[in-house]
Amino acid sequence: MPMYQVKPVSEAHIQIELPTCMYKVPNIHAHRGDSCASEHALQNGEVDPAVKALGARQDEIMRKLYELKATVDGLAKTVTTPDADLDLTVSSSLSSQSFSSATSQSITDLNTVLGKDLGALRDIVINANPARPPLSLLVLHSLLCQRYRVLSTVHVHSSVPSVPPQLLSCLGPRHAESYARHTFQLGFTLIWKDPKLQMKFSIQNMCPIEGEANVARFLFKLLTPYPSDPVLATLVDSWVDMAFFQLAEGSAKEHSAVLRSLNSALGRSPWLAGSEFSLADIACYCCMLQSSSSSAAPANVQRWVKSCDNLGHFSPVKLLMQ
Amino acid sequence: MHGYSFFFLPLGMCKGVEGFEVIRFMCVCEAERTLVHVQDLTPEKADQLIWLRARVHTSRAKGKQCFLVLRQQQFNVQALVAVGDRASKQMVKFAANITKESIVDVEALVRKVEQKIESCSQQDVELHIERILVISQAEPRLPLQLDDAVRPDGEGEEEGRATVNQDTRLDNRVIDLRTTTSQAIFRLQSGVCQLFRDTLTKKGFVEIQTPKIISAASEGGANVFTVSYFKTSAYLAQSPQLYKQMCICADFDKVFCVGPVFRAEDSNTHRHLTEFVGLDIEMAFNYHYHEVIDSITDTMVQIFKGLRENFQTEIETVNKQFPSEPFKFLEPTLRLEYTEALAMLREAGVEMGDEDDLSTPNEKLLGRLVKEKYDTDFYVLDKYPLAVRPFYTMPDPNNPKYSNSYDMFMRGEEILSGAQRVHDPHLLTERAIHHQIDLEKIKAYIDSFRFGAPPHGGGGIGLERVCMLYLGLHNVRQTSMFPRDPKRLTP
Repeated sequence: MPMYQVKPVSEAHIQIELPTCMYKVPNIHAHRGDSCASEHALQNGEVDPAVKALGARQDEIMRKLYELKATVDGLAKTVTTPDADLDLTVSSSLSSQSFSSATSQSITDLNTVLGKDLGALRDIVINANPARPPLSLLVLHSLLCQRYRVLSTVHVHSSVPSVPPQLLSCLGPRHAESYARHTFQLGFTLIWKDPKLQMKFSIQNMCPIEGEANVARFLFKLLTPYPSDPVLATLVDSWVDMAFFQLAEGSAKEHSAVLRSLNSALGRSPWLAGSEFSLADIACYCCMLQSSSSSAAPANVQRWVKSCDNLGHFSPVKLLMQ
Repeated sequence: MHGYSFFFLPLGMCKGVEGFEVIRFMCVCEAERTLVHVQDLTPEKADQLIWLRARVHTSRAKGKQCFLVLRQQQFNVQALVAVGDRASKQMVKFAANITKESIVDVEALVRKVEQKIESCSQQDVELHIERILVISQAEPRLPLQLDDAVRPDGEGEEEGRATVNQDTRLDNRVIDLRTTTSQAIFRLQSGVCQLFRDTLTKKGFVEIQTPKIISAASEGGANVFTVSYFKTSAYLAQSPQLYKQMCICADFDKVFCVGPVFRAEDSNTHRHLTEFVGLDIEMAFNYHYHEVIDSITDTMVQIFKGLRENFQTEIETVNKQFPSEPFKFLEPTLRLEYTEALAMLREAGVEMGDEDDLSTPNEKLLGRLVKEKYDTDFYVLDKYPLAVRPFYTMPDPNNPKYSNSYDMFMRGEEILSGAQRVHDPHLLTERAIHHQIDLEKIKAYIDSFRFGAPPHGGGGIGLERVCMLYLGLHNVRQTSMFPRDPKRLTP
């Protein structure tokens, strides 16, 4: 042809990221000859659905394998040491072993606390009073988000006339894939509702858990197993109770007493329950934030508050309190 | 004007009342007379002489005086005719003989009362009647007593008092509708319609009108009424769906319509009618069909909030006769997936296959479970199995077992069923063949998508059901003004 040639304006194969939430329309350029409406083919650049399905299947198989492994581990434990529950050292070493590899075992973790997976989203429902936002639970929520795929939703109950906007966004922005609930490991549903704080999970097999302290204990178990050392566990427990009963709700006298004991405990170790950050730290920090007493705190407590701040877990609730 | 009190039957229908002289009353001052509403009778009006038109709710003579209760819609006030310098003995007798439900004009002095009148809506004042005129007389025998018709169910039996059964009510609907409960129900219903229109209009929806006489069954094959249409026959529309979808294809983007819907289902249950008012929504969406769910649920939440704010007295009135728990909801609305619902039901001991539809008892049970866990009476169930939905439902692109469809529930009963529709004629043909539907019959439906159709979805709500469930009533006939069911075609 007596025409000059132009270089192609773009390369032949452009990869286009297409959303996966829509159904596919066949390529409109594929068969020119047919009538307009009947032209359909795959849109170019789309990730092959077969590959995706294969990936999903593999994930599913891996998940099942891990579940199986956990069950077998459990069985092995009872078979090899029939009186495992009596032998504290054995069981504690076993549990620490089985919980060491965090991410891959996360599902089994959930299973041990929440019960068998029924193939649907396991939704934890928390009713909270908008006048007293449960700060510790919000911290635990952000920790859970780091560990699991958590679907977080905030609702306002019809018995509450209005809720400040920062409480509606306190669980962070809406997840991009929130339309597919089944793809999440854990649901965290926060309902602003008077009067008391309550957590519901399985209404058939479990009583509602009442009180922020108890809900916090439950949620923390989803993150790490409770210390197997009974002394340590009791210590954490007593700090949590002290935080919620005396620091958050107690009189000024009780308040300063707690601050003193906090100070002496933090003089001995970096965190409240020894060398590791624990629920005790979360509870005490949040209750201090709520009673806004951190400025008048003694030196060790001040230092501890600073190291808590440095962890970054508490920045969302600090924003909320402003 | 006149020396003392007189009673009249105007409009030329003069007749002697108890031997009294009756004067044809065509006074010139009538036009200037302002009539006061019963609800405006407050202590501020004390010692004023007013004119009032109302119904006689009851009249009770006691020696030299006669107590009347005058009613206007849901408001009533006590009135008194007593022998004195403004009223004669005969006038008291006349007042006592006015039949219940007659319409009267009275001129009366508003008086504050010492003790609150518990039985009336205007508790702080009573009327001292100076003149009373009968405008329209009711027949002496009423088919049902209004007081009986508003009595709560249990109470009547205990005290040996009468209650009125549903059929008597519906046969004499005009009188039944005068009760405070009925007044409240239908005012609330009007509120639902109003809020529905307002909310959607604000969201940019366009109200459309669709034909009710159609040539072919619009939805699958469910029962339709056949009507004769000149030399051939036609059907009554079962749902405006096809027309809503055609409007979407005609670029109206978001539409809704309010109109009658006909279902020839011979089911005599508490929640089925053969004709009801459908509130239908259809909209094109951009990226995900959850945009449709969000629009519909937000509309519902706005309706609930509007009712809670503007219809509190009506809700309380209905609750007096039919006690129920207040309607609870969450904002934004709770959305669960079908698999979650199945898991909840299985946990409760129900045995169901993955692709089975929910039976009515299971729906109820699920409603209770959801209420227990989330404390809401309104929720959406998303991602139904494809097998239990009509052929035009869009399959889930990620899992062929499920579909992009949803139901909404109020107090455990389904009020809306909707889905993303298949907007691709080829997929639609394929789905229709799969459901063994005669392609010839739905040709027009499929053809409407051949010239470019945006992805769209929608759903339809039954107005009567929404009112019934919002108020916690137990029969949809209570919220239908003149209900139509397989056994009732009148009034």
